[in-house]
Amino acid sequence: MKLQKLSKDQIQKIILSVLGFIGLIYCYFTFFLGPLNRSRATMIQTIADVQAKNASSKTELRKTASLELQAKEATGRYEALKKTTQEGAPIAWFPPKMRTFFADHGIDKVSARLESSANFKQPELADWIKDNWAVELPESDYVALGKAIADLENSEPLLALQRVTIHAVTGEPQYQQVTLLAQTTLFKK
Amino acid sequence: MALQLNLLHEEFTEERQRKRDPLKLGIMGMIGIGAIFFLYYGWNAYQTIQIKSRLSAAEAEWQRVEPNVTAAQKRAAELRQIIDSTEVLDTAIEARFYWAPFLATVSHCVAPNIQVTSLDGSLVEVDHSISVALEGLAAAREPRGAAEEFRQLLSEQLEKSYTEVKVSFKNLEDLDTLVNLSGVPTASARFVLEVTLNPTPAAPAPKPATRSQKPEPVKEAPTTK
Repeated sequence: MKLQKLSKDQIQKIILSVLGFIGLIYCYFTFFLGPLNRSRATMIQTIADVQAKNASSKTELRKTASLELQAKEATGRYEALKKTTQEGAPIAWFPPKMRTFFADHGIDKVSARLESSANFKQPELADWIKDNWAVELPESDYVALGKAIADLENSEPLLALQRVTIHAVTGEPQYQQVTLLAQTTLFKK
Repeated sequence: MALQLNLLHEEFTEERQRKRDPLKLGIMGMIGIGAIFFLYYGWNAYQTIQIKSRLSAAEAEWQRVEPNVTAAQKRAAELRQIIDSTEVLDTAIEARFYWAPFLATVSHCVAPNIQVTSLDGSLVEVDHSISVALEGLAAAREPRGAAEEFRQLLSEQLEKSYTEVKVSFKNLEDLDTLVNLSGVPTASARFVLEVTLNPTPAAPAPKPATRSQKPEPVKEAPTTK
């Protein structure tokens, strides 16, 4: 094939055309197709993320519903335990409660004082507080005391006796002087 | 052969050169490629618009679900907290030491010739064991023997309900004074007992075989000499 010799003018025009073509390709990919593809890729990624979130949300809702059923008993029990804490400051209601409780068991002159109060170390009990009380029973019959303690331990699940001290009262052998150190777990209100 | 003269040779050459103008051909090529690019861009833009509509739908769905999910997550965290708290509280409740049965056991062991004057019991924080100091008087012809009987009986009775029971004398001394026991002056001794025990309930004794249960055959009869 015989190539025709190109003139200088033609070579210039060819170079100009090639430059124009390169410019066209550059502009097309840089300013048109590139941003469009980037935006599309971003949207596809966002769709994947949102769909994953939607899917996980459905799982989350199912799990919560299942947990709700499982926790029914625990929730009821928790509410019951919460109700053992009366309204107001414990120092205001706990000593009268003890006085009434022991009076019902025939033990009078009962006094209770708050020894110490502290938070629990366990994170699960962050809403609960631990109070230590000294309950003094200056005149108590041993049998009545035993029954009262049994009743107290059965009716107050969040009360634990840490120490029991019983001394015979001099001159009155039918009575004992009793000190109970009780620890209560109370809901913070 | 007839001779032909091309008198328009220059015009034809000029026309051919005009048609083969590289700039013109280049512009035409670029227009063609540009058209293809435009169509490709249009196709991509169409797809992007579709994706955008899918994204909008997905986001709308998420916007609709999000409050429920947030509420559900909050509720789940709350429920987990309740379950954990209840578990810890229940463990604490079940781990309590019940003093009433212990006091009942002590009272059942006290014979008429024994007088307990002081009882001081406490829960040891370190190992959750129970430590009790019992102080009292024993009256009998052999007051030390009476105190020992009380110690043994208490130990036996406590072992029925608790484990690691240890009942030992911290102090035991004869008293010079006689005490009146059922109108009879009797020698007495003062004792201090130290009781330690583990509140874990003792394992129940094995049940005797019932009639419905087939007794195991005796392989070899015991022989006595």
